[in-house]
Amino acid sequence: MVDFLDLERKPSAPRSFSQPFWDATRERRFLLQYDKRAERFQFFPRAAALSDGARDLDWREASGRGTVFSHTIARRSRGPFNDATPFTIALITLEEGVNVMANLVGCAPEDVAIGMAVTLDWCPLPDGTHLPIFKPATD
Amino acid sequence: MALHDSAIIGYAEVPTVRRSTRDVWDIGAEIVESLIASTGVEKAQIDGMILSSCSTGAGNIFWSQTTADQLGLELDFCQSVDIGGCSPVASIARASMAIDAGLCETVLCLFTDTQVAEDNRKMRAFADEWTNPLGYLGPVTAFGLLSTRYAHQFGLDPACLGKLAVTQRAHALLNPNAVPTLQKPITLDDYLSSRMISDPVRLLDCVMACDGGSGVLVTSRKSAERRGVTRMAVPVGYGERTNYRATDPIVDPTDTGHRIAGARAFAQAGLTPADMGSLHLYDDFIIAMMIQMEMLGFCKQGQGCDFIAERDFHFDGDLPLNTGGGQISAGQVGLAGGGTNLVEAVRQIFGEGDKRQVRDTRHALVTGIGGIPYGRNWASSNALILSGEG
Repeated sequence: MVDFLDLERKPSAPRSFSQPFWDATRERRFLLQYDKRAERFQFFPRAAALSDGARDLDWREASGRGTVFSHTIARRSRGPFNDATPFTIALITLEEGVNVMANLVGCAPEDVAIGMAVTLDWCPLPDGTHLPIFKPATD
Repeated sequence: MALHDSAIIGYAEVPTVRRSTRDVWDIGAEIVESLIASTGVEKAQIDGMILSSCSTGAGNIFWSQTTADQLGLELDFCQSVDIGGCSPVASIARASMAIDAGLCETVLCLFTDTQVAEDNRKMRAFADEWTNPLGYLGPVTAFGLLSTRYAHQFGLDPACLGKLAVTQRAHALLNPNAVPTLQKPITLDDYLSSRMISDPVRLLDCVMACDGGSGVLVTSRKSAERRGVTRMAVPVGYGERTNYRATDPIVDPTDTGHRIAGARAFAQAGLTPADMGSLHLYDDFIIAMMIQMEMLGFCKQGQGCDFIAERDFHFDGDLPLNTGGGQISAGQVGLAGGGTNLVEAVRQIFGEGDKRQVRDTRHALVTGIGGIPYGRNWASSNALILSGEG
């Protein structure tokens, strides 16, 4: 079995409105779109605010702290991921109030539980950007 | 919209196969030929056509006009519906709208796909950017996440889901159009011991991708009566919701658009869940049917397992469900798969269910699920109530 973080992953092809997110991952910073009028964050990045359709959105750095909202064990997958099964795909609720889908590493898939505290980490991609991943929080 | 002023006067279906050796237009031609033969409507009288989503046709941005050309149809109205598994059921409401608006009188609703033999999709969605880099497998991963969350919120007894899987398989054995690969009985133990694909989703929770097609003919009731048509399935209630809770940053995946679509369909029909003689619920995964039972008002949210334990879903039971085996046991005809359960509902209302005929043919409920969004449940939900008047 290969190390999950060493799998060959294609770098993302950002859209015009998600480019700031991927650019910031070069510095291992996780930016979230902030909607000032609704006073809330949104994820994944959209061209406009989910609340009112206005395109005036800020980018703010996320804390990287969250809890597991849900999780599943991938027993089969495609391409290079097939060599790394079983692995965890989780929905993480960030402190900022959004759900992010990510791999959860550093924990056996069968030990993952809803509500578990997790922190952000990064998986390097070949173009210098990084893919957000999560691992159990160590307090 | 006077939905009930139109009627489904015929249905057709080809046997579902694992991988088609026939062209998708050959399948379409067989369905048109069969509809003409069973209804007495002449080809020249078909003046409208609505196609379901189709993976094979997905590379052609002129899909409906090209298909009409291939089938030799001269039309006053044609379109494709692109809401995936919802699109066959949605085509009935759209056919009724077009007839009601005076655009056309007799609409061919055609649901064909040869996704296994020829998949021409190129998805422009969130996946390349946000989920493919995670080893995400699409619907099966999404349903793994949804099911884990359901279990956390309400508890989830796999034996209840297994009961639905076993019942549907028993129905597929009575359906000569079900894909041969799945025409063997299964037991609850077979279900429980089938291997995990994306925990807690098991192999026997999932549909198998197949090729095939089905279709119906919709016309105005006046026109049907003028032609002396005696077999009719009348759409009496319809609801549709896309991107339920789209603006919420965190969405409970166990709460779906069928809550809205179902309430609208029942209100329009003036009927309740207790009036339904058979259920034809969209089944891409077994748990989707349980969640629909909750959202459509057959039981309360979170009580699906208890409800399933209490009822008999066989064709001769107290709440017949997917009497042809559903997509899970008859095979999923790509993006046209919603046609399988729709045509089965019409067949039952016409009293042509043969060895699997239900007793109560007054009203049937057919639903659709279409598209898998990021971290929620499904993109589109719809519900259609058909009544056997005529």
